[in-house]
Amino acid sequence: MDSEKKTLVIIPAFNEEGSIRRVIEGVRMTLPQSTILVVNDGSTDGTSEKTKASGGTVLDLPFNLGIGGAMQAGFRYAFEKGYDIAIQVDADGQHDPKEIPKLLHALTEKKADMVIGSRFLGDSEFKSSVMRRMGISIFSHVISMIVGQKITDPTSGFRATNRKAIRLFAYDYPQDYPEPEAVILLHQCRLKMGEVPVGMSERYAGESSITKIRSIYYMVKVLLAIFVDCFKKPPLLG
Amino acid sequence: MLIKIQIIVGVLSMILLLITFELIRKKRLREEYAILWLFTGIAVLVFSLWPEFLLSQFFVRITGIFYLSAVVLIAFFFLLIIVFHFSVVISKLTGQNKDLAQRYSLLEMEFKELRRRCLPSDGTPL
Repeated sequence: MDSEKKTLVIIPAFNEEGSIRRVIEGVRMTLPQSTILVVNDGSTDGTSEKTKASGGTVLDLPFNLGIGGAMQAGFRYAFEKGYDIAIQVDADGQHDPKEIPKLLHALTEKKADMVIGSRFLGDSEFKSSVMRRMGISIFSHVISMIVGQKITDPTSGFRATNRKAIRLFAYDYPQDYPEPEAVILLHQCRLKMGEVPVGMSERYAGESSITKIRSIYYMVKVLLAIFVDCFKKPPLLG
Repeated sequence: MLIKIQIIVGVLSMILLLITFELIRKKRLREEYAILWLFTGIAVLVFSLWPEFLLSQFFVRITGIFYLSAVVLIAFFFLLIIVFHFSVVISKLTGQNKDLAQRYSLLEMEFKELRRRCLPSDGTPL
């Protein structure tokens, strides 16, 4: 179905040498014809070498830009090389590559410009701390209200985007808290979004960038960023 | 008392102006930023030379604070503008820096790919 479409899998990675190999192998098993682009966000470990050894393409950023800057670099690559679909997969292994076809299917089925793999939709069970779930639930309500559409997992970084969204993100991608903010940006540019339930596994290695203690602080900052985003002038794309 | 404060504030503002001029001359400070510092220096100098200057009298009248406090307030106001201006500049630079890093990495990748294709595997030029 999607075999003629050029597909790029973007994996932003910062010091993920422990898990990158398994992620790449997993993606290759599910989507053998896709290009796997690891955006090495200024890692100080062997992420770049491990990727090359696993046969992935590496885009080495000269220094750490953060997840937003790394993802945008990936989108710019996708746009310039003429890819039709870009899929974002985390390098820590919490996204199951076997779920990617679901995202791709939804992209065409729902005629959406971006499909988010949601941990909370359907019967997918996701174990997480109470604080984190509460935070995500608050984001979900606020963002759903703003975009006028139910978004159950706005912080999920497991997404698929079509050419239209790739073009927008190559031009402008939020830098601070890219996942929830990108949802707002898409809404402002009147692009369509959809969600599909996906299962997520435990991370292979490394830890979450959000610790329990910081989660409240994080929540306030993200809500503030979302609030500010609502007043930003959306980019005009002809 | 007033004359003492006038001298101190006047000398300080003149030092500020001199340093600013010197830095512009040596091209270590861009005019864009220098203008704000020059205005700050000039404003404080004006207030030290003429305490009866219209604006300082106006400040003293509406706030009820003394001359020195009025000068400090005005200097603070200018500093506020300068710091705010810097925040704007830093934000812009951060964005440009990000764009450059992305552009650079994409070009480097392209370059390595081209070199790999054009050169034999041992890396010696054709």
